[in-house]
Amino acid sequence: MEWHRALMVQLGGLYGLWLREVKRAFRDRGQLIGGVSRPILWVLILGIGLNPYFRGEVYGAVTFVVPFTYLQFIFPAVIALNIMFTSVQSAVSVIWDREFGFLREVLVSPLSRTTILLAKVLGGTTVAVLHGCLVLILARFADIPLTPVDVLRALGLMALLAFALTSLGVVIANRIGSFQGFGVFSNAVILPLYFTSSSIFPLDPALSRAQTRVVYPDWLVTIIEWNPLTYAVDALRGALINYNQFDPWMGITVIVTACVVLFSIALYDFHRM
Amino acid sequence: MMPDATPLASADAISLDAISKRYGRTLALDAVSFAVREQELFALLGPNGAGKTTLLHILSTILRPDSGTALIGGMDVAKNPRAARQRLGIVFQEPSLDDRLTVRENLELHGLVFGVPRKIRRARIEEMLALVELSDWAAKPVRALSSGMKRRLEIARALIHDSKILLLDEPTVGLDAQTRERIWAYLRRLRTERDITVLVTTHYIEEVENCDRVCIIDGGKVLALDTPEALKQAHGQSLVRVTPLTEADSAAISAQYPDRLTGRQGTELTLASDDAFIAAFLAEFGTRISALKVEVPSLETVFLSLTGRELRDRAAGAREQTFAFGKRGGEHTR
Repeated sequence: MEWHRALMVQLGGLYGLWLREVKRAFRDRGQLIGGVSRPILWVLILGIGLNPYFRGEVYGAVTFVVPFTYLQFIFPAVIALNIMFTSVQSAVSVIWDREFGFLREVLVSPLSRTTILLAKVLGGTTVAVLHGCLVLILARFADIPLTPVDVLRALGLMALLAFALTSLGVVIANRIGSFQGFGVFSNAVILPLYFTSSSIFPLDPALSRAQTRVVYPDWLVTIIEWNPLTYAVDALRGALINYNQFDPWMGITVIVTACVVLFSIALYDFHRM
Repeated sequence: MMPDATPLASADAISLDAISKRYGRTLALDAVSFAVREQELFALLGPNGAGKTTLLHILSTILRPDSGTALIGGMDVAKNPRAARQRLGIVFQEPSLDDRLTVRENLELHGLVFGVPRKIRRARIEEMLALVELSDWAAKPVRALSSGMKRRLEIARALIHDSKILLLDEPTVGLDAQTRERIWAYLRRLRTERDITVLVTTHYIEEVENCDRVCIIDGGKVLALDTPEALKQAHGQSLVRVTPLTEADSAAISAQYPDRLTGRQGTELTLASDDAFIAAFLAEFGTRISALKVEVPSLETVFLSLTGRELRDRAAGAREQTFAFGKRGGEHTR
């Protein structure tokens, strides 16, 4: 059974490289500190701090009524934020592997490049989902009751989102020649995506599309509608606080599409390298 | 060990046929052909930028040659890279360990990646750690190791799977003399204990004296290939180094033997020599020199006579930089 043996080699290698990613992440103190401090700052400080100001009343007239508090609203987005940071950070280690030679050790192994890349992305996904869970632990502080089914749905979405974002990180890492520090990624990719994904403020659900464009600046609405992360955050909200600004199927469709497309691009780049 | 001691019937472990590789306008390898016999300790000697690393990268399947064929145990590296990699243990010039993992974890990972069954993996990790004397360090993170220890660990790692051929690219560069000697001792021991073929590149000439055969390479061309002894006999040149008493004596000697003069450092002169020459020289200038040193043929003089220059560490010139660029481009960018 020649193919069977070959498959076992690929799977063993996949496991080994995946384990490496996970081990490395847990030995990186900076990453762990970020993973813990981000949810605390965003949920406990920003969320609780802004909670009283999050009302459905604007200029004396009630324009929108939301069935949740600000803390509840922002909670799923903070999960997405933590996943985003961790995924991209894991992916950026592609650059370190490349510059410091570890990649070469793997490239001269019998593993196929698909296996190598998949291990990298799955490793990043695992770590990111765990970091997402660091936020999930705070659910009771945000007054979000969760059933086991809610948690499973959320975990599924988080895993898909993490997979897509790690692939995105690998695509970017493969295309940049030198490493200028993680700050570049955080400022140029993560935070812009995050802030324009309707994560920290809702578009008024009571308004029609046309009205939304009147209430909010046109350009902002356009950016939000074009940002794929908007739909991912929306899907997470659906799972955790049962609230969707968009069609519930839109979120899952966007995330799965992003997974397939971004991983394919990463794979293409990696094979061409 | 003489090559004649190797049975002629044994197949070639590595065979290269007219391998060429070009980076832009620089020809890094110009139709390089040679064969390494099984269980041979084979050295590839040449200055930085000679094409050694390029050649090793081609053998390790991460670089494709422009033309020519390279066989690893009869397997074409371009056509069947994965099968070739199974037989190869490779130690690259730059360390490729994971700093954040421990010594044992690095070896464990290598075993997993190369599909070594768990039982064999465990046993071999202990065996290799013992060989390179790192057993006490197994649980330490690689970050804590000295560069010499890292190099030893990389050698151990290359032998975790069933490698039959070990390729090492400048394994002793940047290490102190004692560590260098130790690494060579491991390589010699390995060859007898594990029946493996070792191909090592180096630009330290004194290191290759103990190898079975030496291939001298420069400018992408094979200049000579033979046992160290045979190379010395064929290309070696006896030299005398003389220190004349005065500038005038130095000038007089240079004027007398313009053809034999091969080097000059201050007043000190280096002259090509043979037995008859020394007698004649002493008869004429014996009273006008303060020191005379006879240098028997060494690989250093072989290299000198083959390439016209000495083999020393030099700063990277434009050519080496191009090579380095090509090396990077060939693997990573584009």
